[in-house]
Amino acid sequence: MSHLLEINNLDVKFDTDEGRITAIENVSLTLDQGKVLGIVGESGSGKSVTAKSIMQLNPGNTIYNENAEIIIDDENVIKFTSKNDLKKIRGGKVSMIFQEPMASFAPAIKIGHQMVEQLMLHKTMGKGEAKNISIDMLIRVGIADAEKRFNQYAFELSGGMRQRAMIAMALSTMPKLLLADEPTTALDVTIQAQVINLMKDIIKEFNMGVIFITHDLGVIAQVADDVAVMYLGSVVERGPVNDILKNPKHPYTRGLLNALPDINNLDAPLKPIPGNIPSPLDRPTGCVFRTRCPDPTHECKEGSIEMGLIEVSPGHWVDQCCVNCG
Amino acid sequence: MINFIQFTLTRAFLAIVTLLIVCFIVFSLMELVPGTCAERYLAFKNTQGSQITYEEIVAEKKKLGLDKPFLYRYGKWVSDIVVRQDFGDSCILRISINELLSGRFVLSLTIAITALIFSYLIAIPVGIISASTKYVSLDQTLKFISYLGIALPNFLVALCIMLFMTVYFGDTMTGLFSQEYENVPWSMARVRDFLSRAWLPIFVLGWNATAFALQTVRALMLDENDKLYVMAARARGISGMSLLWRYPAKHSLGPVINSIGFDLNRIFSALPIVALILILTEAGALLIEALARSNDQQLAGAIIFLLTATIVFVNFVTDIILAIMDPRIRKGVMGGN
Repeated sequence: MSHLLEINNLDVKFDTDEGRITAIENVSLTLDQGKVLGIVGESGSGKSVTAKSIMQLNPGNTIYNENAEIIIDDENVIKFTSKNDLKKIRGGKVSMIFQEPMASFAPAIKIGHQMVEQLMLHKTMGKGEAKNISIDMLIRVGIADAEKRFNQYAFELSGGMRQRAMIAMALSTMPKLLLADEPTTALDVTIQAQVINLMKDIIKEFNMGVIFITHDLGVIAQVADDVAVMYLGSVVERGPVNDILKNPKHPYTRGLLNALPDINNLDAPLKPIPGNIPSPLDRPTGCVFRTRCPDPTHECKEGSIEMGLIEVSPGHWVDQCCVNCG
Repeated sequence: MINFIQFTLTRAFLAIVTLLIVCFIVFSLMELVPGTCAERYLAFKNTQGSQITYEEIVAEKKKLGLDKPFLYRYGKWVSDIVVRQDFGDSCILRISINELLSGRFVLSLTIAITALIFSYLIAIPVGIISASTKYVSLDQTLKFISYLGIALPNFLVALCIMLFMTVYFGDTMTGLFSQEYENVPWSMARVRDFLSRAWLPIFVLGWNATAFALQTVRALMLDENDKLYVMAARARGISGMSLLWRYPAKHSLGPVINSIGFDLNRIFSALPIVALILILTEAGALLIEALARSNDQQLAGAIIFLLTATIVFVNFVTDIILAIMDPRIRKGVMGGN
């Protein structure tokens, strides 16, 4: 069976005044229908850039490599340039929700108008029908007084309600793939739980594929089927969520898990990953993690070993440099 | 709706208070100038050869009401303007200011507002294009032209054009009318004549104002273009003009509307110097004359009052427009829905 989404050998570089920055290097991922792929990593690890590459939303100075492939429905969408093609991956087959629901609605346009605008762009329907579908979607995501909210502006809604409205808008065109870029990070914990539960229900109901970007391993444990751990633009470990969380093979993944506070022993000192993320302008050769690796092997230290994922158990892939590191 | 009426009334009230305060400051400043209207008029007569005695000065002061206290005179001045639309007599010229200004102030206003509209009509679309184009050289060219507009003083531009017109067309382009139409009543021919000459001051004032407005629009657009909601709209498939106008452009125009009063003020301030060079018979030139040469308190006060009133009125209108246009302000003023 072919995958819903297949990313092969994706490199993303940004042309800046300081030089060409490598944001993503050789990323390959797959996602099947009805599955949730969690992407974890620190800020600047390339999670969002990966997701935005699927919709070609990265800024104008972005350079994609020639042999990169992002396959959706047998089409390499990264080569899309025409308005009609782009429409398919922007709001048609793929929708995206962002971290800040307040900032992702246009402040001076009614929420309902933004929803209707999108529906009429992607589906052949009249205004009345688009309005009915929008209101149904708002009801579906648990917004009370949907008809009233339809005619309101983003600033009139609470934070949780805005994110629900954002989800309703993203789902209204029935996309096959949903990109969720830290959708719960800006919400407080109780609202976060509600939104996560809502998303889990909806993922099941609509049977779509989801890429869920977050730096919160707790959220990943709740929603994801598979996890990809990213560090400095590379996927360093990926596999089924249980394997990764219970049996991490990469020192960076272990570091992330160790850095979580222990709820049973709150007095225990926090264990951060030592060192800082290197500047993308000064990307290490060989293994990108070697500058922070607690116990690198000799080849790692030299930087003489190339990165590349190897399968350590069925479906569980780890970067080959670090399989033998501490 | 009631809230909106309340908002409008409050704004109108504040506008009137602002106007009264500005008038008071202007009136007080004029009062600080040494000598009174009577003394100045008589001193002026003195230069014509007549001998002036102290008694004559006292009599003249009494005649002009200058023996009354300051606040009383301020009150009378304001109430005359408000109740009878009467600005009194010019101190030096001894003719009614209403007569002196009739037509001239309208001309000034026409020139200034036309220059303003002209500058916005160009600056808004060009600023939006400049901020959004992917052709860097187009943006750079537009930026260069607008910097020229900001850097070159109005009077220099006016002088250059005058020189050019004189050398190549034998007409200095000074004045608002050709000689034959200078003192005749308005007619279609006179309007045509006016337009054939008025474009120069409008262009000189408008170019500078356009350059400023263009920089403002460009900066606001760059700001909006980077906002998440614009990317979110692109992620929904909205593209091209419908994205540009409905999303960043619509949201960046609030501050532009807000600055209309400010821009009008700047054009008004630049007008007298341009008017002086182009020898325009409008109120700005008269203001300079009254302030700098003849020290004509009554005349200068009247002109400044009219300018202030216009700007306060424009600010009042833009406040209302913004409240209607921007839901964030509208909901704030009207409460609920």
